[in-house]
Amino acid sequence: MTEPILEGRSLVKDYHMGAARLRVLHGVDLAVGRGEFLCVLGPSGSGKSTLLHLLGLLDKPTAGRVRFEGTDAFGQPKRWRDRMRNQAIGFVFQFYHLMPDLSVLGNTLLPAMIQAPAVLWPMRRAGERKRAMEVLERLGLSDRVDHLPRELSGGERQRAALARALVHRPRVLFADEPTGNLDSATGAEIMRVIEDLNRRDGLTVVMVTHDQRVADRADRVVRLRDGRLLHTS
Amino acid sequence: MFADTGTSAWLWPALVGGGLAALALLALVLLTPVYKHILCAKYLFGGWKAVVPMVSCLPAALGVFLLILVFAIMDGFAEETRKMTRGTLSDIIVDAHMEGLPYYDELCRRVEAIEGVEAATPIIETYAVARIKPRFGFVKPLVRPCRIIGIRPAEKVRMGRFREYLKRQRPEAYPSADLLRVPERISEASGEPPRPGGIPGIGLIGAPMAAAEPETVEAGVGRRVAAAAGAVVMLIVTLFVWRAARRRPGHVGWIVGAVACGAACLALAATAVLTPVHETEVERDQVIDVPLLGYGDTLVVSTIPIRASGAIATEPGGLPKVQSRALAVVDYFKSGFWEADSSNVYVDFDVAQQMAGMTGGEGEEGAELARTNQVHVRITDPARGKDLCQAVEKVWFDLVREKGLATAPRLTVSTWEEHQHMILSVVDMQRNIVALMLSAMFLGFGVLIALISYVMAYIKSRDVGILKALGARDAGVGSLFLGYGFIIGLIGVALGMTGSLLMLHYLDAIEIWVNETLDVDVFPRTMYYFDNIPRNISPAWCVAVGLAVLALSTLASAVGGLLAALKQPVEALRYE
Repeated sequence: MTEPILEGRSLVKDYHMGAARLRVLHGVDLAVGRGEFLCVLGPSGSGKSTLLHLLGLLDKPTAGRVRFEGTDAFGQPKRWRDRMRNQAIGFVFQFYHLMPDLSVLGNTLLPAMIQAPAVLWPMRRAGERKRAMEVLERLGLSDRVDHLPRELSGGERQRAALARALVHRPRVLFADEPTGNLDSATGAEIMRVIEDLNRRDGLTVVMVTHDQRVADRADRVVRLRDGRLLHTS
Repeated sequence: MFADTGTSAWLWPALVGGGLAALALLALVLLTPVYKHILCAKYLFGGWKAVVPMVSCLPAALGVFLLILVFAIMDGFAEETRKMTRGTLSDIIVDAHMEGLPYYDELCRRVEAIEGVEAATPIIETYAVARIKPRFGFVKPLVRPCRIIGIRPAEKVRMGRFREYLKRQRPEAYPSADLLRVPERISEASGEPPRPGGIPGIGLIGAPMAAAEPETVEAGVGRRVAAAAGAVVMLIVTLFVWRAARRRPGHVGWIVGAVACGAACLALAATAVLTPVHETEVERDQVIDVPLLGYGDTLVVSTIPIRASGAIATEPGGLPKVQSRALAVVDYFKSGFWEADSSNVYVDFDVAQQMAGMTGGEGEEGAELARTNQVHVRITDPARGKDLCQAVEKVWFDLVREKGLATAPRLTVSTWEEHQHMILSVVDMQRNIVALMLSAMFLGFGVLIALISYVMAYIKSRDVGILKALGARDAGVGSLFLGYGFIIGLIGVALGMTGSLLMLHYLDAIEIWVNETLDVDVFPRTMYYFDNIPRNISPAWCVAVGLAVLALSTLASAVGGLLAALKQPVEALRYE
């Protein structure tokens, strides 16, 4: 494995339901190399989405560490993690999670809009729009830029979500069951795009899925069951 | 129409504070990430969902509208009352009550020497009974309580607006000193013994009668305002329908609806612009005080003199000594202040002094000095009233000491506002109570905004999760909902303030239009003592109401903001 861009050490995650404590992850150790396509495979409830959220700096582990590009992410202020998610990390979710009030272009511009103060936006807008249009064109959505998410098919929505995840040129792409809500043909198309991004652009991809066929396309597959890492293949 | 800035000393600080706050807000808006503005605008104006914020800004608009409108009208009432009350008095009143004070001329001279005092004059004020024998034979003679006010006319006119209230409209050049003089032809024509002149209030010698009086008004303004308001509403509806039509290509119904709404909007706008506004004469029910006594008619007033000791002057048999005088009516006055108009009879100072038993001479307890009840003082700067009251009091104490008066009368030196505080404070209190009650409406508005922002943050929790996943900060996402509440408040304030200011500007025309359209009398002149609905817009009050509503709506929306800020992104994104 190349130099790790992402490392999870002894990751534990507990959820509290009233007085009861539910341990979802039991000390998971995982490293992801730069440019690697890693797939976390496991059945529903195995803790794979939780692991993805911890590695993607969306959620804080109960115990353990996450190192992102060598920095202890949860030793840094929250502002640092927010900035990493905005500039260095991209997310794709099973249910697309597009902003329903924004058009495809608006959704794609969202990471840039989160970063830019209103006073600078008029100056930056043209450049950001150009870059967003390039990504949308590459994903075959150039004729749908003004459409709202509800006016798109499932595949188009996922491609729009992918465009939003890629527009700021992230160093790691986290994909949570990206094909889980799509028919097989559309799912295969999305997988082709992700594979292409990994192979051609060297984008690090961390994907969780319960589908063995999807997992087969990854460089490396780790299996998770009941919050424990079983083995790597 | 706008209030005298003297009544709102904190106007400039408020405006400067408001300006600085606006600048700070602008800086905040410009430095804050742009996604908040875009999403806030989408949440507020995006499609049919916008009906919620639009409806929720209506209570704020209504509250601002009512608070400014009602306060301006009640403040107008208070201001008119203040003016009318002030008109019959002077800036400072030195009141020696019924006992009276001696050395009044010397006191006046010394008071006039105080820096900031323009003039001073003695005034006699005593209670009496007036007997009115109307010139119309079919009206029975009337007996009414009254107040005899003894004045030196030339000095009295310098004290206030007394001359403006006289209704016979003597020429400008008519000497003030002769205002109470009875012309010889009147004396000769009556065939009665010479009578001193008297100027009674119209309320005392008049009979109020309802009459339709012609009044010139601007016609068409009410229709214009109503059409303009309708055009604004139709414009908003048109935008919504047009947006819906764009989102549903092929649905002809929406396009037809949008075109119909647009046409209605244009028609209303055209009506608002093209309705001619012209002056027209309308008949309006007014109260006309018909004087029951004419020029030169006799008014008999009777009073009981009070001695310096406070004892009632009596006849040798022990009965009260009644002083009756027949006065020739040389004028009548109407100040608009009912208490004065219905009871005051102005007579020459000497005549009043004699009737009140204050001329001095030998009394039951030895030699008595000539006295007066009051001294009225006119000052150059009304703001210095309180200071000058103290200076006048000191002058009086010095005079008492110099003259070696064993028992100095008890004086009350007060500004005219203090003198009339019972009337003024009642009016002010009514205004403040109404303002307080209307302000309670805003509590309801605050709760509504809090609920809407909470529901909004709940509904939009997935958006919150997405934004946080993409790197938006907790505080930033929370402030999105604060901005949402702020803009609802801003729209409400803008609508309410525009509506109330327009309404106040065109109040008379709107009143006539409503009267004619609904066949009602909104502001019956037969009940009130004003020619028009009084109004007095306080810019400071408008600014305060606007800022209060903005602050309230922003604070109330913190409920939603807090919910959004505390939301964990993974919770929000877990399920579809």
